Amino acid sequence: MSQEVIDQIVKYLTPQVPITPISQGAEAVVFLTNVHPYDIGRSYPDAKYIIKYRPPKKYRHPSIDRALTKHRTLSESRILAKLSQIPELHVPRLIACDPYNGCIWIEYLGENLPNNCGFSNLKNYLWMNADDPYNADVEKTLVKVGQQIGQLHWQDYCHGDLTTSNVVLSRRGGEWEPFLIDFGLGSASTLVEDKGVDLYVLERAIISTHSRFADKYNMWIMQGFKDVFGQHGKVGDKKLKDTLKRFEEVRLRGRKRSMLG
Amino acid sequence: MLTHSIPQFQGFQIKAAYFEDVKNGELLRQQVASMPFAMIDAACICSLEQLFCAVHKALLEYTYNRLRTKNLNSECILSLSPTSNIGEAFKRFGIKETTTNIICLAITEGKESGVIEGTEHVLFQGVEGEEIELSDGTLGSRADVEIIKKVRLNRAT
Ligand SMILES: Nc1ncnc2c1ncn2[C@@H]1O[C@H](COP(=O)(O)O)[C@@H](O)[C@H]1O
Repeated sequence: MSQEVIDQIVKYLTPQVPITPISQGAEAVVFLTNVHPYDIGRSYPDAKYIIKYRPPKKYRHPSIDRALTKHRTLSESRILAKLSQIPELHVPRLIACDPYNGCIWIEYLGENLPNNCGFSNLKNYLWMNADDPYNADVEKTLVKVGQQIGQLHWQDYCHGDLTTSNVVLSRRGGEWEPFLIDFGLGSASTLVEDKGVDLYVLERAIISTHSRFADKYNMWIMQGFKDVFGQHGKVGDKKLKDTLKRFEEVRLRGRKRSMLG
Repeated sequence: MLTHSIPQFQGFQIKAAYFEDVKNGELLRQQVASMPFAMIDAACICSLEQLFCAVHKALLEYTYNRLRTKNLNSECILSLSPTSNIGEAFKRFGIKETTTNIICLAITEGKESGVIEGTEHVLFQGVEGEEIELSDGTLGSRADVEIIKKVRLNRAT
């Protein structure tokens, strides 16, 4: 991560907000801090908050860059705020948003998996279970992952980048609860195309990293996905049928064309 | 009175207090515009998190964009609102003539323009009510959950 980006954010946050970088993407840098942006009572040594920062891009005209950053930061924040209000959906809570500086604060989720298996996203969790790939815990977790995606789609939202790193598992009362993170490409959408692409992207992610177990894993995910629509009678059945049909079409032609159109 | 500061905005001092059984709501309502602090209808506030979230937002607007209301104090009232409609925000989160539980909130910048040392107790002097501790306990037990739900759900749809 470039020193320049770090210097910018440190200057912006002031020394009152110490940060540790944890991830760098094409568009955003993610930091960890123990300081809550405004509620002193929630800042303590072991507290954890995520700061997602979209640094200015030098190759863009400054005013265009500011407008784009503002737009994307607001868009991600709005979608997180909306989704947090849906009881069935698990997403990190939005804590604060500064669209002028491209900065959002979000609830930290997850933990470090035992035996150095890394952060508790779905990808690392599946690796951790590779010795006993079809155990009941894995099945339960994957069905729940499918339910989360089902809920998201049922509410007419799409994720836009549904990889196994963007599903974070949080332990709640001895069970893993999947949370969807990173709504940077998320949108409100009634289009079956967007939903079909979401499902396809996740299916590909499972196949490419856990190929030997992928059939069963994808089946469990789809089982959870279908559960959600099954709870909504005829309307649910119809929507499910349309979505699955498009998923099939997306799979047949590959993801490419959808990315162009 | 509660003194608070926002990590990113150390140059600002935030003072807030909770007044119960306020007797002169009608008079205060007429004077809202000239008071050096914001008066918030406490029924709409259920936690310190909610209150200071608005303060943080107001400071962000002030520092990096522009205020949409007269000053930082009134901006906090706007920032409490899920919509950007100023009139609606004041009607909802500001005090009414009948309001008896009031949160007073004052943001001051720097030492100079701030409250003069030792005069904190007179800051919210005009409010004729009983000051009780401004805490999550106080807010949580006295908030009107139905109003808060209504404001929140209106936005979700
Ligand atoms: N709410 C969160 N809780 C924990 N880790 C997160 C959170 N958001 C982002 N991360 C981490 O930062 C990485 C990049 O975030 P993102 O740019 O939102 O995809 C993720 O893959 C996670 O490892």
